[in-house]
Amino acid sequence: MSTRAKALGAIAATIGLLLGGTACGDSTSGSATALEMWTFKQTHVKPLQDAAAEFKKQTGITVNITAYTPDDTYKSKIQTSAQTRNLPDVLEVHAAGEDFVLGGSGILADLAPNVDAAWKAGFVKGTADAALVTDARYQRSLQPKSAEAGIKTGQYFSVPFTIGTFGVVYANKKKLADAGLDPAKPPKTWADFVAWLKAVHDKDPADGGLTVGMKSPTTGFNWGLEPLSFAYLGAQGYRDLFGKDPAKSFGSPAGLAVLELYDQLTPYWKPGTQTLGIDDADRAFAQGKAGFDLGGTFTLASLRQNGMNPADVVTFGIPAASGGATSDLKLAPIALTGLAVSAQAKNPEAALKWLQFLSTPERAGAFAQASLDLPGTELGADAERLLGPELAAVRNVFGDATAGAYDPTDTTVFSPAYDDKSPGETLIRMSPLHELTPEQENQALGGIVATSWK
Amino acid sequence: MRRRAREALTGYAFLLPALALFAVLGVYTIVYGLLLSFARWNGFTAHWSWVGIGNYLDLLYRDAAQAPQVRSAAINTAVIMVGIPLLTVVAGLPLALALNRITRLRTALRTIFFLPYVTAGVAVFYAWSYVLQPEGSVNWLLQTLGLGTLAQPQGFLGNPTTALPTLIVVQAWSAIPVAMLLYLAGLQAIDPEVLDAARVDGASGVRTVTAVIWPLLRPITAAVIMLNLRDALQGFQLFLVVTNGGPGGHTNVLGLQTYNLAFFSDLRPTLGLSSALGWMLFVVALVLAGINVRVLRSRT
Repeated sequence: MSTRAKALGAIAATIGLLLGGTACGDSTSGSATALEMWTFKQTHVKPLQDAAAEFKKQTGITVNITAYTPDDTYKSKIQTSAQTRNLPDVLEVHAAGEDFVLGGSGILADLAPNVDAAWKAGFVKGTADAALVTDARYQRSLQPKSAEAGIKTGQYFSVPFTIGTFGVVYANKKKLADAGLDPAKPPKTWADFVAWLKAVHDKDPADGGLTVGMKSPTTGFNWGLEPLSFAYLGAQGYRDLFGKDPAKSFGSPAGLAVLELYDQLTPYWKPGTQTLGIDDADRAFAQGKAGFDLGGTFTLASLRQNGMNPADVVTFGIPAASGGATSDLKLAPIALTGLAVSAQAKNPEAALKWLQFLSTPERAGAFAQASLDLPGTELGADAERLLGPELAAVRNVFGDATAGAYDPTDTTVFSPAYDDKSPGETLIRMSPLHELTPEQENQALGGIVATSWK
Repeated sequence: MRRRAREALTGYAFLLPALALFAVLGVYTIVYGLLLSFARWNGFTAHWSWVGIGNYLDLLYRDAAQAPQVRSAAINTAVIMVGIPLLTVVAGLPLALALNRITRLRTALRTIFFLPYVTAGVAVFYAWSYVLQPEGSVNWLLQTLGLGTLAQPQGFLGNPTTALPTLIVVQAWSAIPVAMLLYLAGLQAIDPEVLDAARVDGASGVRTVTAVIWPLLRPITAAVIMLNLRDALQGFQLFLVVTNGGPGGHTNVLGLQTYNLAFFSDLRPTLGLSSALGWMLFVVALVLAGINVRVLRSRT
């Protein structure tokens, strides 16, 4: 081979190498009737593929489903794909949060012109507008460190796909019976709940405690303390707890009162629950290593996945404490995940058809049966048949946010700079670690809230 | 002349692939990361907001939410930067001395002692987290041996006072094999006549180790310490998988803080903060490397 040929070969190899890196990113282009959809839930892949097969029969449009897990991988994938313009047509996103971030960044299409009132009427009450940019949300997005910069009032970024709520307690029926408790009569008050915890824990100290995945440090705070505080202080008192006024926020007597209530759980946590991830905690409960599991409506699917028969579980929402603002705490259903169309979608019309297809009661019911996730679509009278008695029963914790139910997605309660990781970690130091007294915890949380407003 | 030019061209053409790769994967990412440390960005928006050295100031003292977390993580990082290298040297050198002394089964034992290094990784970290739980085998073993008072009812990772020391032990466990191999190589390179001379002079075994072997192995000790300092400063996988910084933030370290700022901040625009923290870690690593080079030069 001549020197010139070698030189040309080397240059060609370099160019080929560089081009190769970019060419492989264009694999999604192709037929106009093919859609790409990404999800971050592995358990959703098969039910979505089943739906896609039916969708193809009806419309001729192919939908390819890909899962990227865990969450951080999914986010990185979206970040990098957005930069290289390689996004899919449809994305499953965390509703009422992630969709606003992606929408404000120009990654998601604004669906406001497409999702009309008739379509919205098919969703579970209170969830249809989870992805609607309200004026309050827009104003908060103007803060310098807001994650949702770029959103505009009236935009709408995703339709509800799965719904649920936090603050749901699962109890092991057999352990309850062994402790002399009647599983048919769940606790009505916080004191009843603590009494249940004590009874089961006393009977089985090693495996009768309460668990929640505190390796994610926000779980105890968000799923336990927040609904408890809402019920005890009422909507305004709860809002004040995270507000600017130190006389009413954490650090005040109101904060101390709810922390003293929460601290009543301290003796009854499952040993080591502070080291467990959310899935680990569910697994421990499913294996009989805990008497109670604090989670959300989505926990039931996890328990069944871990081998527990849903019929062996009693489900109830975090009960209200006596003497508080509310005696019967209801939890508002919220959109947990949504379906969004990418701003880079090659065929947005087909993508919208796919979203509409997934929103039909028949398809949503089939999806719920397969995934054990509550669907965003209202199933009406067919709910129990489509969901099964246990999953349908979980919905008993639901209430209407406009009628006073606790709505965990109401972020207007917090400062735009509020980060729930610090409060979560601090709460763990009080319960279960017992490093801080409720008074010390109250002062620490007061400092965090005050800082968030600076 | 033309032939020389052609040869030069060929040479450059062969260099081009490596240069192109370095330009894309090295220079580009370094410059990109450095620029990002002066910006506010969540990874999604088309434009960055330039904040100058604001991210560095926020991390050091200005942001009342971030700075305390960074300080707490820095203290934990300092503790592991002392604990891990110390434990690695304290365990690695005696193991190497013992292996160097025996002749039978040396290869087999060397392989066994090296296993933690080749098996270390996410799967093993998960295994450790199960072993260290309240009902895990460490507590069971302690109770079986009649040492129940040492068992941890909340698990070794659930008790704030034992969580960080436990992670130091686990990290050292995976670092000791390499230290042991390096020491073993160093021991085998020592001139036997030096050791014979020490023996003739009446030096005991301990005296030989402290006065002869230890000084001769000082460059290896420096290398072992340096490697482990770097791992302690920048590594976070163990902390992410086993405790995620818990319980209650007691095992948060700077590497984990950097990772969480990049990927687990609820999509807040903290990628710049993450990058700035990464660059601060880089500067610390650079200073440590400089000290290491000076120490090695002055002793050898």
